[in-house]
Amino acid sequence: MAVATLPHGAADHGGADQLYIETRSLRLQGFLLFLISDCVLFSSFIFAYLYMRNSGQGWPPPGIQHLDVAFASLNSVVLFGSGATMHYALENWKHNHFNRYAFFMLLTIVLGAGFLSGQAYEYHHLIFDEKVTWAGSGIFGASFFTLTGMHGFHVSVGVLYLIILFLQSVHGVYTKDKFFGLTAGTLYWHFVDVIWVVLFSIFYLI
Amino acid sequence: MHIDPPTFERTIAIIGGIVVGVVSAKALKDDWTTPGIENHVFKIMLGLLCLGAVIAIFAGAGVLGNFPKAA
Repeated sequence: MAVATLPHGAADHGGADQLYIETRSLRLQGFLLFLISDCVLFSSFIFAYLYMRNSGQGWPPPGIQHLDVAFASLNSVVLFGSGATMHYALENWKHNHFNRYAFFMLLTIVLGAGFLSGQAYEYHHLIFDEKVTWAGSGIFGASFFTLTGMHGFHVSVGVLYLIILFLQSVHGVYTKDKFFGLTAGTLYWHFVDVIWVVLFSIFYLI
Repeated sequence: MHIDPPTFERTIAIIGGIVVGVVSAKALKDDWTTPGIENHVFKIMLGLLCLGAVIAIFAGAGVLGNFPKAA
């Protein structure tokens, strides 16, 4: 196992740079393992949902309408758009264009918050107008609210994470050469986007 | 001219899906030759983002998820 060590008396700036170079690939591997473990978590819930769905007689169960595809499409585009803006935020950081980076980063945060607002609106509509609840609508309600709620939680954490990253970048924590936090944030944001591609397809389109 | 909310939502979804699909495809093309683990992961993610945009366009257009109304 590779272990990064900081030489005695090297707590100056050069030592920190050396430590960053030595540990960057390890941190990247650790973050990718975290994303893979999250992927396994979502996969187990998704396959449980698909198994239960195919075990029943028809879908959605009697008394429950199909979900609103039009609004969900719009909300999905908002989230997918935030993935594209996050990518350009990172690219602009790499090319030292701080203003453009700040614009795309803030746009990503706004779009992420917009997606969460859309999801809150949809929950409100389902719970109060359609009377679909987590505990009272059988497998459909339980699986829908569990999976989309878990994803919404990830998006909420992602929005907070991006706000923290943005504040850190404004305060000079990252440089043109040292920006692993921004890379990790971009990976995480792409991950929640990709998970939504699957959830959108299985809940709204099939 | 009156547009009902679902038509408006579908129209925005289609336009937004086209924009996101084109932008992410361009980002994927620009990054195609970049080395490194994280860039390879980014390429996979951007490819799936393009797929998501195409799915959203089809959903907005009513090609996917076009279920008949329950009686």
